[in-house]
Amino acid sequence: MPPLLQVSGLYKVFHGQSSVDGISFDMEQGRCVALLGPNGAGKTTTLRMLAGLMNPSRGRILFEGNPIGDNYRRQIGYLPQAPAFYNWMTGEEYILLASRLSGMGGKAAAGHAAAVLERMGLQDAARRRIGGYSGGMKQRLGLAQALVHSPRLLLLDEPVSALDPIGRREMMELLRDIGKETSVIFSTHVLHDAEEVCDDIIMMNKGRIAEHGTLTSLRAKYNRPVIILRVEEAEEARLWLETLQTRSFILESRLEADGSLLLKVDDIASARSVILREAAERAIPLLRFEAGTLSLEDVFMEAVGG
Amino acid sequence: MRNTWIFYRKEMLEMLRGYKLLWIPVVFMILGIMQPISAYYMPEILKMSGDVPPGLLESYTLPGAAEVMAKSLGQYGVIGLLVLALSAMNSFAGEREGGTAELVLARPLTPLAAASAKWLAQLTLLVLSLGLGAAGAGYYITLLIGPLPWSAAVSASALYGLWLMCAVSLTLLFSACLRAPAAAFLSLAAAGGLALLHTLLPRPLRWSPAALPKLSAEALLRQEYTSYAWVFPVLSGIALIVLCFLGASLLFDRNKLPRF
Repeated sequence: MPPLLQVSGLYKVFHGQSSVDGISFDMEQGRCVALLGPNGAGKTTTLRMLAGLMNPSRGRILFEGNPIGDNYRRQIGYLPQAPAFYNWMTGEEYILLASRLSGMGGKAAAGHAAAVLERMGLQDAARRRIGGYSGGMKQRLGLAQALVHSPRLLLLDEPVSALDPIGRREMMELLRDIGKETSVIFSTHVLHDAEEVCDDIIMMNKGRIAEHGTLTSLRAKYNRPVIILRVEEAEEARLWLETLQTRSFILESRLEADGSLLLKVDDIASARSVILREAAERAIPLLRFEAGTLSLEDVFMEAVGG
Repeated sequence: MRNTWIFYRKEMLEMLRGYKLLWIPVVFMILGIMQPISAYYMPEILKMSGDVPPGLLESYTLPGAAEVMAKSLGQYGVIGLLVLALSAMNSFAGEREGGTAELVLARPLTPLAAASAKWLAQLTLLVLSLGLGAAGAGYYITLLIGPLPWSAAVSASALYGLWLMCAVSLTLLFSACLRAPAAAFLSLAAAGGLALLHTLLPRPLRWSPAALPKLSAEALLRQEYTSYAWVFPVLSGIALIVLCFLGASLLFDRNKLPRF
């Protein structure tokens, strides 16, 4: 059985500039994939092509081995970055319109609409005009319209980016629930969100896939021991830090904004003993010593070459 | 087909909630009724304004029923056209620029079905407005002036309606690829240009849809109406409408997302 979604060699060129520059990936049924990348990485363009709203300049998208068409549209739910509704409609009317356009019969549509509105906490606002909804309510209505026809694949473009902390919390909880039932692709530029709900992560930068893998495999791949050091402001301490950076066991070092030094090392045991011994011998006023592994944030920065 | 119907109902509901379904027919009725009323009360109006040269009022004869009806329909050529173009200009452009198209077109709704629904909704609005306007004019004409040849009035209204639908279809075509104001301007310019060309070169262009308003008036003024002059303008008008409709659905397919 072919995977749920196969994307191969997808390109999109706008006015001579490529926005998506040859991406390929497969997605299995039931997975939750985060499309992670900075602004301008091509996430929205990719999702629009996946939603069938834009034709790729090159490449192809297969859904269960078939090219995407009307039947495919019936099986996807799509939530754009800033969903716009007919403001003169009520929430309920919009959800009914959406479900009927996706091919549901009148009775089934009414039942599903009521259920999905309740799930999104919109049952009290269902009979009010959408024009009067708050931003968080519109986002939830957007999720409701994407879910109402029980799609097999959900495409969500930055579903939490525009929300306040409370709305964000609610949305993440809903997403975690939904991720258990159906296959989801969602884009975000916030790493923490991706970590929270997703199994797989695709890191995009400048239209390309910089890194692709499961959350655990990415962690394992980038599982580099790091030591974080911070010292008091003192001339000899500063000089010592500088000499440290040239040692053979250090792969890479970076001075952070808060004045601490991040050292990527190959052998944590020997590095730790050397550093601690030297610090003791020279009476370096250490403020902080931490040995650990790279956070996903660092993986991301490394992968996109930031 | 099913989605066309669903989307058509959405379009009609939008027109109803936006009061378009109310105010455009009202404008058409006012335009239609004004002509017989002002023709009937013209001597009164002139008397009120004073300074009427003697003998003028005596020489005033009430125009015939058919003539007034033709003039009533002629009213729709400028203001009616403007109102219809302004009401249709947002049809595609509003959905595209506002972002609502992105959501509905991600569903199995094809651009062709959406364009059919929009076109049918505009046709409904036009038939309703023109029908009520012409009926209002006809009612006051029979009341104030005299019996009206109803069958001729109906065919004259239909010919005029076809010309108006040509202009509306042009607006829809431009709305599918341009922003709303540009769409309204271009379609009015195209309709105006076509009408002007027809006035300048009536013989070489007698087959064009721009000949329809004149044919509409002739249908009323010449009682025995046997010539088949209307065949080509009607056919070319329908061809223009079909081309605009197909073009609009094609362009809407390519322009689903806001332009940048």
